[in-house]
Amino acid sequence: MNPEQTSLRGMVYASLFGALTAVGAYIIIPLPPVPITLQTLFLGLAGTLLGGRLGALSQVVYLLLGIIGLPVFAGGKAGLGVLFGPTGGYLIGFIAAAFIIGKLSALKARPGFAWLCLSLVAGTAVVYALGVLQLSLVARLTPVKALVVGVLPFLPGDGIKIVLTALIALKLRDRLGGKLL
Amino acid sequence: MIRLGQYLPGDTVVHRLDPRVKILSVVALSILIFGATPAEILLISVFLLAVIRVARMKPAQALGALRPVAVFMAMIFLVHLFFTEGRTILSLAPLPVRITQEGLVRGVYVTWQFAGLVLGAAVLTMTTPPSDLVGGIERLLRPLSRVGIPSQDLAVMIAMALRFMPMLLEEYDRLRMAQMARGADFTTGNLALRTRAVAALAVPLLLSAFRRADELAVAMEARGYRRGPRTTLRELLFSRCDLGAFAVMASFFLVNFALRMAIR
Repeated sequence: MNPEQTSLRGMVYASLFGALTAVGAYIIIPLPPVPITLQTLFLGLAGTLLGGRLGALSQVVYLLLGIIGLPVFAGGKAGLGVLFGPTGGYLIGFIAAAFIIGKLSALKARPGFAWLCLSLVAGTAVVYALGVLQLSLVARLTPVKALVVGVLPFLPGDGIKIVLTALIALKLRDRLGGKLL
Repeated sequence: MIRLGQYLPGDTVVHRLDPRVKILSVVALSILIFGATPAEILLISVFLLAVIRVARMKPAQALGALRPVAVFMAMIFLVHLFFTEGRTILSLAPLPVRITQEGLVRGVYVTWQFAGLVLGAAVLTMTTPPSDLVGGIERLLRPLSRVGIPSQDLAVMIAMALRFMPMLLEEYDRLRMAQMARGADFTTGNLALRTRAVAALAVPLLLSAFRRADELAVAMEARGYRRGPRTTLRELLFSRCDLGAFAVMASFFLVNFALRMAIR
C-alpha cells in the first residue's frame, strides 16, 4: 500500500471519529449520579485508535462541524459563541486531549489496559484543566468554585467511561491494525 | 439529522447564493442564537421562517429536518423543565420532581435554540449541492493553510463527517432497538451491568462504522481521489446578489447585536 492510500484511509477515519464525537452528544445514558453522553468515549477512542495527529484532526473536524452551525456541542448547542462562552474550554480541550492520549498510548508498542487507562486519565485531566481555566475566566468563578461545578459532578461518569474506553480500544485496535498512518 | 444527500434542487435566490455567503450566514446565526434575548428570539424566528419561505421549502420538509432529533429535543426540554431551581408552579406530589417557572422558561428557550440551529443548518444543506458546500468551506478555511493546516483536506473531511452523522444516528437507533428486543436495559441493574449494556451498543456501532469508512476509502481510491489542491467544475463567483445577501445578513447581525447591548 503506498503512503497516499494510507493517508486517505486515515483522513476517512478522522472524519468518522469527528462524526462519532458529534453524534455522541445525542447518546445519553442514564448512569447515576449524572447521566453520561458517549462524547468523551469517542474522544478517547479517537486518541487511542487513531494516534495523536489523526485523533487531534478528528476533533478539529468535530469543532468545525459545530462552528458551521450544526448543533453538535453538548446539549445540542452550536456556534462560535459556545466556543468563547463559559464551557468553550472543554471543547478546545478535546483537541489537546486527543493529541495527548494518542501520543501517550503510542509510547508503548502494544499498550495494555493499565497504560491505556493512564493515557486516558491524562487526556481527561487536560480537558478539565482547559475547561476550568476558561470557566473561571469567563464566568468569573474562583478556581475552586469552578472545580466544584465544572469537574466534580462528572468524575464518577468519567471513571466509568475511561475503563470502558480502554476495554473497547483493546477489543478494536486489531481491527484497525496500524493501517492508518 | 442534517443530510448532505438531502439537497433539494431548486431555482430560488437562496439556492443560487454563493455557498460562502450561506455558510457565513449560518455561522452568524448560530452566534446570534447563543444567548439571544426575547426580542431577538422573535426577530430570528421571523427571519428563519422568511428564509425558508424564500427558499420555497415546504413546511413538511423543514419539519422533516427536525424529526430525527425530536427525541433529543424532548429530552433537553424535560431535563430543563424538571431540574431547574426556582419558584414551583406545579409539584407532582408523590414524585421527587417539580416544575418551576424558571424551568419552563429555560426549557422552552433551550428547545427553541436547538430547533433554530437545526433549521438554519437544514436550509444550508438543503439548498446547497454537496460539491458547492465543500468548495465553500474550503475557500473559507484557506487562510488556515498558511499556518500549515491543509484546508482542502479539512473541507473534504467535514463533508465526509456530514455524511457519516445521519448514518451513525440511524445505526445507533437500530442497534438500540435490537439490543432492547434482546432484553438489554440501561435503566436498572448495577453499574457493571449497565456499563456492559453500553459496551454492547458501542462496539457494534463502531465496527459497522469502520466497515463503512473502509468502503468509502476504497471507493474514493477507486475514483482516483488524490489529496492536495483540486480544481472544481464550477468556480465560485461572488455576484451582486451575493453582496446584497451579505449586506442583509450583516445588518441583521448588527441590529440583533445592538438590541442585545441596549438591553444590557
